[in-house]
Amino acid sequence: MADWDELNEALADYTISCNGNERLRKMQRDWSRTLHFICSDTGTSFSMMVDRGEILSTPVGHVGTPDIVVTTDSETFCDMFWGDLNPVQKYLRGEITVKGSQEDVMRLDAISYVIWPDS
Amino acid sequence: MPEAGPALPTAMALRRSVGTATATATSAGLAFAAIDYLGVVSVLAYAPGATAVVGIFIGGLIVVLVSGIFSELNGLYPTAAGIRLYLGRAVGNRTALAVTFTYMTTVILVIAADAFLIGAAVRHVLGEPPVLAYLWIAVLLGLATTANLFGIRLAGGVQTVVTYTVLAGTAVLAVVAVFHVGGAFHHPLDLFGKGGFSGIQAVAFALFLYAAFEWVTTTAEEARTPPVITRALFVAPVLIWIVSSLFALSLAHLVPFARLHGSAYPQLLLGQAALGTVGELWMLALTVLTALNTFNGGFLVASRFIYAAAREGNLPRQFARLNLHAVPWLAVASLAGASAVVAAVVFATGEWLLLVAVGAAIEAGIYAVASFCLVVLRRRETRERPFRLIAAKPLAVFGIAAFSVLFLATGFSDPRNAHRFSVAPISVIAVLAAISTAYVLLVVPKLRAAAAARAAVAARPRRRPSRPSAAAGPAPVAVPDAAAQLSTPEVGMDEPIG
Repeated sequence: MADWDELNEALADYTISCNGNERLRKMQRDWSRTLHFICSDTGTSFSMMVDRGEILSTPVGHVGTPDIVVTTDSETFCDMFWGDLNPVQKYLRGEITVKGSQEDVMRLDAISYVIWPDS
Repeated sequence: MPEAGPALPTAMALRRSVGTATATATSAGLAFAAIDYLGVVSVLAYAPGATAVVGIFIGGLIVVLVSGIFSELNGLYPTAAGIRLYLGRAVGNRTALAVTFTYMTTVILVIAADAFLIGAAVRHVLGEPPVLAYLWIAVLLGLATTANLFGIRLAGGVQTVVTYTVLAGTAVLAVVAVFHVGGAFHHPLDLFGKGGFSGIQAVAFALFLYAAFEWVTTTAEEARTPPVITRALFVAPVLIWIVSSLFALSLAHLVPFARLHGSAYPQLLLGQAALGTVGELWMLALTVLTALNTFNGGFLVASRFIYAAAREGNLPRQFARLNLHAVPWLAVASLAGASAVVAAVVFATGEWLLLVAVGAAIEAGIYAVASFCLVVLRRRETRERPFRLIAAKPLAVFGIAAFSVLFLATGFSDPRNAHRFSVAPISVIAVLAAISTAYVLLVVPKLRAAAAARAAVAARPRRRPSRPSAAAGPAPVAVPDAAAQLSTPEVGMDEPIG
């Protein structure tokens, strides 16, 4: 199980990688969403506010009304935000569950794919 | 650690979620394409006159079983991965992949068929030479492809309005045709005396009218609550049943079968017979509207499936490439290309009824497979689900048998002559299944090996810092993680997922 410090570190790196990727920012320029995350093993929850492709913040707890809710275990979240795993494989095996539109689910995966195309 | 605790936060409402009306419209809209007008003619070939209504009703009763099966499976795995995941859990990844690839070819068939049928209808109304039909097909597919590549898609509200307009418009014209034209339907029982009723094939083709209604399960992740999808799965077939029955009755009442059977636009013939040019334009408008749902839903579902398969490593990774509108452009372009080729073949051969037979058989086969999944997953997955089918095991076993029979009935039907058998539909399905299976067995392992080799060469170290305190132990340093993932037996396994 990953603790909040680990998650926070992963989120910080993810935010830098995402916001610093010009192609990704251009691709996601029309994508403004509120994402909620739930760690199924620890119960930890956090949010991610995205405005026109830019991750503005990743506050603790659930902030605002979500467009997408992602649930998996804390280790998977950490690996996902570090780009060490392919989220689609976990998703297709039912190990990551998502609430949200298909389009938003694909956009979320696209972030990982554009930043780490070999993941 | 913030908000840590044994209890998970309760489920929260999404900002944009799908309710029952939209989900029902999605389900009915996916099922009711332009090819359904031809599907009704295929039912009439085996169940002449008003007996077609009996066939459509029995088909509807069987579809209730399909609704129950998919409701339980969807409750167990509410995901866009749908049948891919049910099958993966029940019989293993390779089989799931082979079946899903075959299933997805029906999307290409339906897109191609709709492009052809709409092209033919537009050409007919405009009185153009037959050869111009393909121009219209190319224009339609071009427009749909361009819209998809630019990320333009129907908003849920528009899709709902379009679907209900098509269903209501067809029903109203059919009612007008039945009750106010051609003798005002004074002797309804006369419609039963139009020929012999061939039950199994009639029901099998009736099943095709409802086909693809179960794709609404791919929207499970955006449903407001789990029962929304269940309600849509049970309500949408009722709408299709009503509209298809009225349409079949009106066709039998007003248009001689000999004219219908050779036509790619029976709905226009009905419109013409019922209300003249106004009726013809009315049905043409509805036919064009069906394209919005077919192209929007078909391209979206299939291209996202291709994207996910490529991301998973089961298709060349080029298919996952995204354009600046976050659209998997190669997947969309390939779908359009394949649809254009199939439409051209149909245009050249005039074998549009073969598409109906192939689609009907594949759908029956998928329903048999879903029944099998339910039998296996009832045993394997003991956790609670929001919907449990009553008497699931005997009903699912019945489903396996019934849908297998219907699969064979349509697979060996002769699309051109109801009194004969043909191996054409089953041959097309066998070729599609053989290509899918060969691809999964021969090409997918090579793709995975190539991906693993690439990852090994790149030797990208694991980015996540290792922590001695992690429960799983210290993370290995400088491990080519992508290679490790791809070579994990679990990913390309024979064993069921999970």
